[in-house]
Amino acid sequence: MSEPNSKRDFIDPKVVGRLMGLPMHARHPMLGAVSGRHRSPIRGSSLEFAEYRKYVPGDDIRRLDWRAWGRSDRYYIKEFEADTNLRLCLIVDTSGSMNFGADGSETNTKLDYARKLAGTLAYLAAHQGDAVSLSCAGTEFKSEIPAKRGALHLGVVLDKIAEMQAVGETGLATALHDAAEQISQRALVVIISDMFTDPESLREGFQHLRFRKHDVTLFHLLDQNEIDFDFDRPTRFMDLEGGSPILADPTLIANQYRKAVQNYLGQVDTLVRDTGIDYHRTKLSDAYDNTLARFLLGRTPKTKK
Amino acid sequence: MSFLAPFLLWAIPLAILPVIIHLINQHRHRTVKWGAMMFLLDAKRMTKGMARLRQILILAMRVLALLALIFAISRPLASGWVALTAGGAPDTVLVLLDRSASMEQQNLLTGESKRSTSLKKISDLIEKVGKRTRVVLIESVENRPIEIAEADNLNDLPATWPTDATADVAGMMQTALDYITVNGSGRTDVWLASDLRTQDWGPASGRWDSLRAAFASLEGVRFYLLNYPDVAPDNIAVTVENVKRRKIGDQAQLQMDIYLRRHMPVGAEPKPIDVPIEYVINGVRTAGTVKIEGLDLAMQGHTIPIGATTERGWGKISVPADSNPRDNSFYFVFDEAPSQKTVIVSDEAQVIEPIRAAVSSQIDPGRNYVAEVINPSRIAEIPWTETALLLWHTAIPEPGTPDGVQLKQFVESGKTVIFLPTDASPSASGFMGGNWGEWVPESTDAIPVGWWRTESDLLANTQNGDALPVGKLNMFRVRKFVGEEGQPLLKTEPGEPIMTRVPTDTRGAIYFCGTLPSPSYSSLAREGVVFFVMLHRALDQGAKALAKAQQRSAEGGLFAGDETGWKAFEISETSNPDETSLTKGLLAGAFENQPRKQLVAVNRSLDEDSIRKIDSSEIENLFSGLNYREIKDEVGDSSSLASEIWRAFLITMALALIIEAALCFPAKTEKKVVPKKKEAKA
Repeated sequence: MSEPNSKRDFIDPKVVGRLMGLPMHARHPMLGAVSGRHRSPIRGSSLEFAEYRKYVPGDDIRRLDWRAWGRSDRYYIKEFEADTNLRLCLIVDTSGSMNFGADGSETNTKLDYARKLAGTLAYLAAHQGDAVSLSCAGTEFKSEIPAKRGALHLGVVLDKIAEMQAVGETGLATALHDAAEQISQRALVVIISDMFTDPESLREGFQHLRFRKHDVTLFHLLDQNEIDFDFDRPTRFMDLEGGSPILADPTLIANQYRKAVQNYLGQVDTLVRDTGIDYHRTKLSDAYDNTLARFLLGRTPKTKK
Repeated sequence: MSFLAPFLLWAIPLAILPVIIHLINQHRHRTVKWGAMMFLLDAKRMTKGMARLRQILILAMRVLALLALIFAISRPLASGWVALTAGGAPDTVLVLLDRSASMEQQNLLTGESKRSTSLKKISDLIEKVGKRTRVVLIESVENRPIEIAEADNLNDLPATWPTDATADVAGMMQTALDYITVNGSGRTDVWLASDLRTQDWGPASGRWDSLRAAFASLEGVRFYLLNYPDVAPDNIAVTVENVKRRKIGDQAQLQMDIYLRRHMPVGAEPKPIDVPIEYVINGVRTAGTVKIEGLDLAMQGHTIPIGATTERGWGKISVPADSNPRDNSFYFVFDEAPSQKTVIVSDEAQVIEPIRAAVSSQIDPGRNYVAEVINPSRIAEIPWTETALLLWHTAIPEPGTPDGVQLKQFVESGKTVIFLPTDASPSASGFMGGNWGEWVPESTDAIPVGWWRTESDLLANTQNGDALPVGKLNMFRVRKFVGEEGQPLLKTEPGEPIMTRVPTDTRGAIYFCGTLPSPSYSSLAREGVVFFVMLHRALDQGAKALAKAQQRSAEGGLFAGDETGWKAFEISETSNPDETSLTKGLLAGAFENQPRKQLVAVNRSLDEDSIRKIDSSEIENLFSGLNYREIKDEVGDSSSLASEIWRAFLITMALALIIEAALCFPAKTEKKVVPKKKEAKA
């Protein structure tokens, strides 16, 4: 792998090095084209014992368990789990609201945070032999990179991540449906978005992905100021998605704003509970490596005793 | 409203500082790029109505607090009447004071009368708001402007002490108008303290129209009507009439009509009460009790025995003290009845005889009725001083002639003259405003009576209320009356006045009778009742001027030109005995002029017992087009017309700040939303 250039500064080698020890697992069996590190729904030839089943004519006699025959005088076939690779499908929201920076700054934006998450996950997936795809969900900035394996493809994905721009309105709902249709086999779908749209409008998209048996993960990016609304004097709020600006006296509307946020977060909680997606509410003030570590640890399979 | 520190009112524009600060704050907004617009839009939608109202209320409370602070430090003066002295202290304050007897109605708890209450309040007001204001008093008795140097206690001035006189409000207004016009008094407040009695105001008088027009043309004159219209429900007024000394055998007695009148609230049912009554004859007191069943008690022909040798003297009828001390007593005097002498100046027997027959009839046995006929050529022989009634059936004398002068003096001394028509041509200038016109053209048909005045004067109804049979009279020859101010007493069917009274400024009376008692002129003699009554009423009227004992109503200048020799038997009680009250004739009492052996009883005018008041609509008519304000007060009320009210403004400010704080306080502290963190699975 080539040295990261300045366009790829969203990948921190130290973070990558620390997370490398945590393999990325899917929560469900995956269907891959080649052998990999992930469980497959079909039986294979890995070292992981799966089950015994009765011999039927036509089975490969090399897989007969002769010890079981010796003990029971019956023919059993010994089956093992198949290991396969997975497809990591990254869907990044590139709506204008992703340009909102932590504490109002223009440097540490949600898009920057999304780049770090997406780039690091892509690198980790590629490193463990998984295919990576990228989809940019915006109405003005759209891009689709299909899932492929290999370092060359990773470079393409990382370059696209570096080129991403947050403009226009969100196209997340459409992007979810498109992803569900386009990804042919089971995959790990990681969505990174601020979700500033009606949560109910995303319900069908999530259900569509789940119907296709994809393992869906959502990183919901929020800034603490967007939740607390700590302003003390009249402010003109410029819409990052190109809408009309709003002049408001925060002392008058703060309570109602907080109510609206609370109501919205409640709807999001209901949505993720109903659709069974892996939800991570993430504040921009959180270190992204910790966020990823929690994500990866949460997916580590439990050791069988 | 006026202020003790009005220069601080220049700070009033500072009250809009909160609004300016708010606007500046609005324009000092910062710009923030924001992604979560959906929450902002929701919040704006939810707070659209109430938040805007709350913000306006907060600003209003801040402005109000500042305004109240500025007003408070400006030391405002006000009272329950808003804008009582709007515009600050005037240059001149005219105090028009009704000193009539009815203004002495008291609050029995405080002992303050309507008059003293009003004076205290006006004094207090002038002290507070107008230390540099010129104060002029116009009281109802003297009715002339009196400049007051120190207005701190108007009650101490003799010119404001109680009287038994009546008031002439229109006259006081005229005096005020003259004062303002002559002195150019600048911005003037006219305070009129009155109890709104109709007899004092005379709302039907034509003077009000000219007063209203004259005041309307003046700039800067404001009227404050300090009204005390309440009538004491428990007040009893006593009056005495027709006091006569009668001798029956060896005994003598006084005969009189006593009237007691109760004042009750409108609609109240009067309950029978026993009223102790005190009789005083020449200082000797006797007492009794009478029962009043309704509102009035009339004791007509009431007799009080007196000594057989007591031929003259004075007396008083009193009831117990109540809310108006001025109407609890009534004085009277008595003496030998005067001679009822009539002089007929005529040379026509058909005229003389019916008149002589009528006026010589002795209807009262205690009196001496005398009729004397004087030929017109011997007018100089008329006994002017002994005559009570003069019937003048000859040419009207010219004013400058000796006859004219004597006739005028006769009328001015309080006696009565009746002019009868002759064929002589009219006088060149008439007599005191009346004159003969042309004869109405002769007709074979009788001229019937069309109208006559029944409520008062010579043709009034009897005491029982029965009308005189004036309608049965017929006239055949009538001479017209000429004069602008004549008051008709009797008119023919076509409206031609037959009997006319010419008003005079004196107590005497002048009548013009347009026909004669002769059969060819009228049926006056044939239908003798009307003629008889008419002549005897005129005779009684004139005889009062001859009487040694007279009843008079209190008024300013009652003894004017006749001050010497008077001594008081008794003067009505007053807390401020005025040494000059005797000569002024302002207080009720019994008086004697020893050199002339004349007795006079002075009492309040009977009109003062009337409780008829003018109402707000009448006041509005009288003052329409003028800047006036009615202030209804209560007798004995100790609240001030103006007092410092800075405390009220400070309280207002505190309330405004509390409300503002309550509005600014968050209604409910919203718990901040803390995003849940997904715990890493072990």
